[in-house]
Amino acid sequence: MASDALDNSVTLCRSCDLVIRKRALPSGVRALCPRCHTQLYDTPYCSINGMLALCITAIIFFFPANTYPVLELEFLGSMRTTTVLEGAIAVYQQGYWVVAVAVMTAAVIAPGILLVSILVQIVIIKYGLQHSLLRSILKQALKLQGLLTQLTMLEIYVISFLVAAFNLADFATVSFSFGTFCFTMLFIMHLFLLREYDIEHMWSFLEK
Amino acid sequence: MKSNPNDSTLGKQVGLTCCPTCNKVTCAKSACCSRCDTKLIIRDYASLQKSWALLITAAILLIPANLYPITTLTNQGKVTQDTIFSGIAHLVKTDMIPIAIILFTASILVPLLKIIGLTIYLTAISFKLPISKKNLMIGFHIIEWIGRWSMLDLFVISLTVAVVNMGQLLDAKPAPAATAFALVILLTQLAAKVIDTRLLWDRLESKNDSSTNT
Ligand SMILES: [Zn+2]
Ligand SMILES: [Zn+2]
Repeated sequence: MASDALDNSVTLCRSCDLVIRKRALPSGVRALCPRCHTQLYDTPYCSINGMLALCITAIIFFFPANTYPVLELEFLGSMRTTTVLEGAIAVYQQGYWVVAVAVMTAAVIAPGILLVSILVQIVIIKYGLQHSLLRSILKQALKLQGLLTQLTMLEIYVISFLVAAFNLADFATVSFSFGTFCFTMLFIMHLFLLREYDIEHMWSFLEK
Repeated sequence: MKSNPNDSTLGKQVGLTCCPTCNKVTCAKSACCSRCDTKLIIRDYASLQKSWALLITAAILLIPANLYPITTLTNQGKVTQDTIFSGIAHLVKTDMIPIAIILFTASILVPLLKIIGLTIYLTAISFKLPISKKNLMIGFHIIEWIGRWSMLDLFVISLTVAVVNMGQLLDAKPAPAATAFALVILLTQLAAKVIDTRLLWDRLESKNDSSTNT
């Protein structure tokens, strides 16, 4: 049995430790653990070039998404706007730094690092697999991937625009602006990027 | 997926283990993962206590998070403080039912279900309760997936505070429950993350549903 693992025909469920024989899957189908229904593996359909294009597009949207206003409010003739960053800073200035750090991490820092990390991974896989220093950078980036994906909460932030706007519409005029568009695009690009991304496939480049 | 007869063989029994970071299957005798150098642990028994500690702290913090106000609103000189619940009640009164449902789910239902669910889960492992492992695991996957949505309220507060700042005229500020609520989210997410789920399947192995698949 132990030698089976070396030729990758056997895998273990990470939630319940069940031994599972891998079998070929039709594309788009996920293998689930028969005992606890944890996702095990799927057919990798990640194209490195497609991911590179999505990643660069996402990075281009990242900057306006964080520097342009995402929400505009008009009340008795005066106008206020806010960016994602200013939202976190405003909470921080009121002394609620725990909340500020949470918002900052989930909406700005983690998505930013995630995108840069994926870009670095792709570039190393395409051009730098023979250098040992670059290989160790790739290894560290892949180890961080799981944490960064969990910390990135762009989808929740997109919903929060809507909730905040409806909330405030009660007593002021609220409108979206260019930043909202960029942030939504950033979210969509990141969604497609992560659909293409397959961590097991990325690790396989290091094992060659 | 169809199952084969040796369905209930565990990695532990055949000397294999799976890397917690990169999921690579390795010989259980090696100290570190050959692919990513993470320290390998066949079963993390201490994770149970860590998870309990985090969960109990979160449950305690849930009380101030719901009792104290989470926002302070000044509207033309009049100051009102809203707790999570009164904020939602206000939305219901002003006929914004869909938004009220979203916020109720994200801020009240999800944290509560997460804490109750994890308590049942941890109790089942610690005290070997005969609850269906499959249902526990499905519940656990749901908790893992839905837990992060509690962040919604904090995002809404940060946007509101930043955009509503016109002094005495109209001004929104966060209030103490915001910090407690942020910590509840952090601690419950950590409690779910640290737990070694393989322990559930070990402890209850003799009891039930290991045979339902064969
Ligand atoms: Zn399993
Ligand atoms: Zn590993």
